[in-house]
Amino acid sequence: MSSIENSNCNYITNKKIKIFFDGKSYDAFEGDTIASALIRNKIKLIGRSFKYHRPRGIYTCGIEEPNALVQILNEHNEPNTRATIKRVYDGINISSQNRWPSLAFDVGSINNLLSPIFSAGFYYKTFMGPRGFWKKIYEPLIRRTAGLGKPPNNFRSKSIHQNHNVDILIVGGGLSGLIAARKLIDTNYDVLLVEQDSYLGGILKNSNKVDSIDGKKTTDWINETEKLILKSNNIKILKNTLVTSYNFTNHLIALEDKFVGKKIDLDKSELILHKIRTTNTILANGHIERFISFRNNDLPGVMLASSFEKYIHRYGVVPEKNPVIFTNNSSTFSLVKSLIQQRCKPLAYIDARKKEDIEDELKDYLKNHDIQFFPEAEVEGCQGNKEVEKVRIRTNNSIISINSSMLCISGGLNPDIHLFTQSKGLVKWDEKIITFKPNTAFQNTITLGSVSGNYNFHKIFEEVEEKLSFLNINKYVAKIEINVEDDYSITELWETKNDKKSNWSKSFIDLHNDVTTKDLTQAIDEGYDRIEHLKRYTTNSMGTDQGKISSINSLGIVSKLLNKKISEIGTTTYRPPYAPLSFAAIAGRSTYEFYDPERKTPIHNWHVKNHAVFEDVGQWKRPWYYKKHEDETMHQAVQRESKQTRKTAGILDGSTLGKIEIKGKDALEFMNLMYTNAFTKMRPMTSRYALMLGEDGMIMDDGIICKISDKHFIATTTSSGAPKVLAHMEEFLQTEWPHLQVYLNSITEQFTTFNISGPKTREIISQIFTEIDFSNEKFPFMTFKSFNYKNTQVRIMRASFTGELGYEIYISPEHALELWETIFKHGKEFNLVPYGTETMHLLRAEKGYVVIGQETDGTVTPVDINFNWMIGKNKKDFIGKRSLKRSDTAREDRKQLVGVVPLDKSQLIDEGQHIVECENLPKQIKTPIEYLGHISSSYYSPNLNHCISMAMIKGGNKLIGKTLFVSTPSGIKNIPVEIVKPIFIDPENKRLIS
Amino acid sequence: MNKVVTLDGLDIYQKNFQQILIRGDGRENFNKIIKENLSVSPPSKNLEVTNTDKYLFAKSSFDQWNLLYLEKQEYNNILINISKLNKVDEILATDYSYGQVYFEVIGKNKDQFLNKLTQFDLRPKKFPLNSMAQTLIARIECSIFNLKDKYIITCNRSFESYFIERLKDIASL
Repeated sequence: MSSIENSNCNYITNKKIKIFFDGKSYDAFEGDTIASALIRNKIKLIGRSFKYHRPRGIYTCGIEEPNALVQILNEHNEPNTRATIKRVYDGINISSQNRWPSLAFDVGSINNLLSPIFSAGFYYKTFMGPRGFWKKIYEPLIRRTAGLGKPPNNFRSKSIHQNHNVDILIVGGGLSGLIAARKLIDTNYDVLLVEQDSYLGGILKNSNKVDSIDGKKTTDWINETEKLILKSNNIKILKNTLVTSYNFTNHLIALEDKFVGKKIDLDKSELILHKIRTTNTILANGHIERFISFRNNDLPGVMLASSFEKYIHRYGVVPEKNPVIFTNNSSTFSLVKSLIQQRCKPLAYIDARKKEDIEDELKDYLKNHDIQFFPEAEVEGCQGNKEVEKVRIRTNNSIISINSSMLCISGGLNPDIHLFTQSKGLVKWDEKIITFKPNTAFQNTITLGSVSGNYNFHKIFEEVEEKLSFLNINKYVAKIEINVEDDYSITELWETKNDKKSNWSKSFIDLHNDVTTKDLTQAIDEGYDRIEHLKRYTTNSMGTDQGKISSINSLGIVSKLLNKKISEIGTTTYRPPYAPLSFAAIAGRSTYEFYDPERKTPIHNWHVKNHAVFEDVGQWKRPWYYKKHEDETMHQAVQRESKQTRKTAGILDGSTLGKIEIKGKDALEFMNLMYTNAFTKMRPMTSRYALMLGEDGMIMDDGIICKISDKHFIATTTSSGAPKVLAHMEEFLQTEWPHLQVYLNSITEQFTTFNISGPKTREIISQIFTEIDFSNEKFPFMTFKSFNYKNTQVRIMRASFTGELGYEIYISPEHALELWETIFKHGKEFNLVPYGTETMHLLRAEKGYVVIGQETDGTVTPVDINFNWMIGKNKKDFIGKRSLKRSDTAREDRKQLVGVVPLDKSQLIDEGQHIVECENLPKQIKTPIEYLGHISSSYYSPNLNHCISMAMIKGGNKLIGKTLFVSTPSGIKNIPVEIVKPIFIDPENKRLIS
Repeated sequence: MNKVVTLDGLDIYQKNFQQILIRGDGRENFNKIIKENLSVSPPSKNLEVTNTDKYLFAKSSFDQWNLLYLEKQEYNNILINISKLNKVDEILATDYSYGQVYFEVIGKNKDQFLNKLTQFDLRPKKFPLNSMAQTLIARIECSIFNLKDKYIITCNRSFESYFIERLKDIASL
């Protein structure tokens, strides 16, 4: 490893660490990225390309890297990590990607020679036949070869989200971002400054372009500015944070890496996803250098010129002492100066610009330092096996070959407009700087510095002052001294003329996806002349780098091929995210135990202690069944619980039921409108089973309505329907019937509910609520009472969802567990059992009670389930009334609720199965078989000792007594069944009113 | 009072308060009845909170109020008061003392901590002192009351263990 060559670099310390790359150990400095560390160790070959498996090296020094993607083995095997931004730490274990058996010898590189097969759109042209090959050959092969890295190992991320609400967000802590921040220090604005790097300064630390600001060395000015910002009470800085998305309403997403240059602590959040809501956004996120297409422009050793310079200034490493520089613009002058400063010298400087357009200062400098200078020249191509060995220069119509292992290229500077276009801002082609730059903002977006196309350092203060003048900002102006020519100059050059040597020679336009300039030509020849079509057909700019260094070049090449102006070609859409985001970061803590918020009843812990197995009902955790012993199956438990309930008594935790209190002088009218039932003649302190319809006349929810008075009701709803019903009621009150004086409160959480039922129920609860007379006469079916119990209020309603004698007890959560345990204490002598939702379903099916959402599916009317009696026919109106008279809802052959009993009573029918008229299904179905309906509920009844089902069948009421057939999940033989009335137990209600 | 989270510049306690939900039209008669029966005046502006050491009275929407007793009351008295209010047709008063759980959040880092769980803008210029809001915190519906030097957050009781776990989880990271 070479020592630190530029001692003025800012990013690394002298501390040596060990890193591993492809199993070999290398020395690096603390602060190095993987790329700078490998460059320091003279390693150029980093990986293999996506399609052709060509050798690839380090092309850039930042987020835009298309080539140097590696796998981090000790970080859950994290793939596709950009070597140019991932900072190393002691012991980091890195592996190259997409090669077998080794990086140096990769069998996949045969693809390069077979490249004529893999030209543009080959995905769409190949693998068509023979037909049988797809499943067994093509698909497995494609799956094996596709992708770069290997999927990461299973791990539990602890990424979190952090929300911010600010007045101004500054994206980028470079020169213009820092000037903007200084102008906002101690103002009334809440400001957030986000910088993707570990240090502020941007270009001030990446190059020697700027010499001093305000008479101070750039590093001193940056430190001073940072100190002032940190001292201020209104600006916060986030470093190592990359803004990835700019959404509507100035909502931006940024990702912070908390373990930059450190080993990840699995107990801490490795990533923070910042969700930023701001009033104004200042984009000061700079520019990205673009490349030039020429033959073998992908070889290791070809690097962007500004990136080469960054390695010198940031990491103190000179990738090559004597590189060749190839440019079409003035920005590379500073690289020459940086190299000379390091006592290095470029072998040659190739400038595509006309000699008279090249700055005199540059020409003099090259001459004074005896550097070969080729004006109005271009690189024809590079040659080499696994790295650049020769650079061929076309000058004055002849080719000159120079031996060099490194070629620094610059095709111009693109304002980094990704975020601006994500915000729906419009861009405009600028002929002077030959690129797109922001034109019209769609949101409150201000662009500053090079992102706005301003490459002139002397005009930065002026630009900031002007664009932020609408804000109440500080006066701050300083003098900037620069090292290079201030006027940026460029000539258009997208691809150089090249002499094709072999199939191996290629001129790339997209390094990440291995798209060549020839692919673009071919795609246009085949008719894909719209840029969005062309992008998808060739996969150009569709890699993880999103074509950051090449997308404008492809527009340039396409414009030439189509003989159109670039502004006529248009841009492709830059979509978020700006750089890949891990799913772990997006999910944050909403995973595993926090995937969905959980609701628990006040006696949840009792259920856990008593071996309940839980079922998710919406967000509620409800006991599904209780295991008596470890080996008891669900079927055994449900059979036991239901048998015992009908024999003596069982109790269900029904706390999840929705409860709504309704009060007001117009409450009666409101209830009559909301439900199908008539409540006018209903006596106070009685209750009634009620149905709620949608405007389409379909059943929406059900529940029991307790009438306290004409002005005061309490309604229960289904567990999952509670919020929907309350919102439905509120919506009608606020929009359709604002004249009604009615108020609603949800009391679901204020009352814990127990449903106790079975023949011994009365005896059990009489021992607890001794002052209440539970006799039939004093406490008849569908009545309720409220009374004080142990310093709280209890409401008991006589109702049942099992068909047995039953009561619903409502009590505050504070007293719920105590009462629940008291009930068990008194129920012990009667073998009282707790039962879960599965037993509840079985018991109600035996009695023929429907479950909304099981027998109904949004297409069922009350008439369909024989609930005609629940429709208040004399009522003037209720929601859904008109729809019930529509010809479709009044049809007699609609699906209707029936009971189903298999002729072989021991045979269990599966829920959801079809009901048909044929005994057997044909082996091959040639004509559709008429489907009569489906099984909605099906159980084995321990109380009847046979299977019972409920079904919705076309014209079901007229089919009672008939034999039909039910399909099975497998086989062609259907189950013969008898259609019966849907009440299997106690049709006379003797148990219910006992 | 249980301490749920303690961090540098942040303490979260779970507290037991009693609460009455009141709905009505907010007009003169409504105010008069409330004052007569509860001896406190309901705030008139939406999302406004009036409070003393003993109670917190918030107008949580155009026709809904929350009365939180910050000092424990005789429960029977609360039930009696509710009963009195409900005698009036144009008022619905509901006991919600045990329907919700309550958390007191104090410390200089409380905003930053809560903004890990909610996008709600807690800056004083957007969420002034003595105001309340209904928003999502940790993906569940909560009310947040901005009192001097502290927030009181309430959520439905069924979310109690989930919410506490979320608070502890974020504090641990």
